[in-house]
Amino acid sequence: MYWLTKEQLLLLVKKLAEEYKIFGPRHDRVSGEVIFDHLSDWSELDLQAAIPYNPPKFILFPHYEEILKYRYQPETKEVRIEQINLLEPKALIGLRSCDLTGLLCLDRFFLDQEYVDEFYLAHRKKLFIISNTCLRPFPQCFCVCTDSGPAAKDGFDLDLTFTGRGYLVEAGSKKGLALIADLHLPEAGPEALTLKKKIVDDSVSSFDRFALENKAWISRATNRLTTGFIKPEVWEYIGNQCFECGACSFVCPTCSCFNIEDANLASGETNRLRTWDSCSFEGYTKMAGDNNPRKPVEDRRNKRFFCKLSYSQSKKYLRPGCVGCGRCARVCPGDIGLPNVVTYIRREITGESGE
Amino acid sequence: MNKSLVPIVSIPEIATIVDIRDEIEEVKSFYFTLDRPEIEEAFKIRSGQFIMCTVFKAGEFAVSLPFSPENDRKHISVRRVGKVTAALHRLEPGDKIGVRGPFGNGFPFEEIKGSNIIYVAGGIGLIPLRSSIVHVLQHRQDFGRVILVYGAKSSKELMYKESIKEWQATENFETHFTIDRPEPGWSGEVGFVNHLTAKLDLPVSNTVAFVCGPPVMFNAVIKELKLKGIKEQNIYSTLERHMKCGIGKCQHCAIGRTLVCVDGPVYTYKQIRTLGEQI
Repeated sequence: MYWLTKEQLLLLVKKLAEEYKIFGPRHDRVSGEVIFDHLSDWSELDLQAAIPYNPPKFILFPHYEEILKYRYQPETKEVRIEQINLLEPKALIGLRSCDLTGLLCLDRFFLDQEYVDEFYLAHRKKLFIISNTCLRPFPQCFCVCTDSGPAAKDGFDLDLTFTGRGYLVEAGSKKGLALIADLHLPEAGPEALTLKKKIVDDSVSSFDRFALENKAWISRATNRLTTGFIKPEVWEYIGNQCFECGACSFVCPTCSCFNIEDANLASGETNRLRTWDSCSFEGYTKMAGDNNPRKPVEDRRNKRFFCKLSYSQSKKYLRPGCVGCGRCARVCPGDIGLPNVVTYIRREITGESGE
Repeated sequence: MNKSLVPIVSIPEIATIVDIRDEIEEVKSFYFTLDRPEIEEAFKIRSGQFIMCTVFKAGEFAVSLPFSPENDRKHISVRRVGKVTAALHRLEPGDKIGVRGPFGNGFPFEEIKGSNIIYVAGGIGLIPLRSSIVHVLQHRQDFGRVILVYGAKSSKELMYKESIKEWQATENFETHFTIDRPEPGWSGEVGFVNHLTAKLDLPVSNTVAFVCGPPVMFNAVIKELKLKGIKEQNIYSTLERHMKCGIGKCQHCAIGRTLVCVDGPVYTYKQIRTLGEQI
């Protein structure tokens, strides 16, 4: 491990900016919300800020993206297809371990299955990742239940832990080590390990009681979901509370369903657009001719939770699809964020009453 | 998966429509060739696979491939049912389309050599089965009895009448037809496909069945086949779903824990029964 002072942090960002576009958490001037965004002014980078309301997945998998462009002239029968260059080196600074874990899920999903998603790959190819240990959990957080925090284990180039005086730095890749050498960071002594352990332990112990108590229940919910031993009434109850707004999918670090549409422009060109989609929308499975094999809302709801927790989906991510960031719980107007769904499943198992 | 069958994954290849034929009302077949000779050469399919077809300025849709992997003209048969297929129906010979694929697992071919085969189709359900029928007839000596049971609402709704005539000229190919209501001049059966299936003397041991048609017909036929003693793992079907990518990423085609584009579109009834969703 190495030491980085607060002053050196800006040097590190400056060094990275020579090669990469810089992204990180900052406070929005107007709303005051913390957002993970492109930083044109590096001094806005705030590594002590609260958990950003959005995960960084939009950097690799934008809400709305042109994946190709074409021009078709029916008169001459001429088609010109133009590929779009999506390759741009990007540095993500101050990623929380939940969000880093989410990104690794997306990697496994987009890059490690039967086919490689070329558009995701283009974004992913030149990425520099700096994770940041969470010093304090927020009321919504339950990463301790999903094995995804509060400290990152792998997948980073550099990992930072704030000690109050400065940062402990760990390298996770050759790229990371090279940057440490470039900045001549001093090595931290053996006491650094003990210090980091204490910081992480303190963070874990300050989690809300609900998160710590739910720990065992997430794996039991996984078991029930996989084996299908959840009563239809439970899904019906959950489904009835769903507003079909799709917010849970949009703030989820691992949700990656998308739609593709060809949009004709006034210039005569057509853009093929890929946009975020959500399995909670009614039209999600609707086929041409209006036949929709998934009708009731509880049917569609249960798909999302199946995707987050079932064993068969976990095989794709090599871990549960939920990373415990709690954003779904924060945005859901129907109060069926993932922790509550686990609670409903728990109540079904134990026969507890609603209150 | 056979690695020599590398598909066109993300960027469509341009193809030219060389011929268009009216099949039945609202259904046309579009014959095409891929513009780049090296791609035309390399484009190999398995029966039961599908492509993503781009109608320029309208969009892209998933469509099953009705032609045989060997010695058959490349084409798709499409019912005009939505925005993109309506745009396709407006095209003329010489117009361009885009092709990605072929995708999906396809019907078993090597594994079922030596078996009796029963094809049961309803309406345009014959489209995805056509490739396998032609392929099997091209290798007729490798199989036992080969039977087609085909039904439609009326005689006008029967697909591929010309192909069927050719197939009937093949030795040892049994065909049985039915339409929903009597018609003047109709000499075949009258009634639903499942009723005809029940009446026929079909082989049971060493037999595989391929079933495709609307969900109601599908479920009724499966029931009859099972009553006759055909095992669930020997009944195959091909499913369709709303698809956007074809490569297992967009997730629109999820049924249970599977994705129709990469785990299907061909499933055994044994698999379908355990997916936990409506077909």
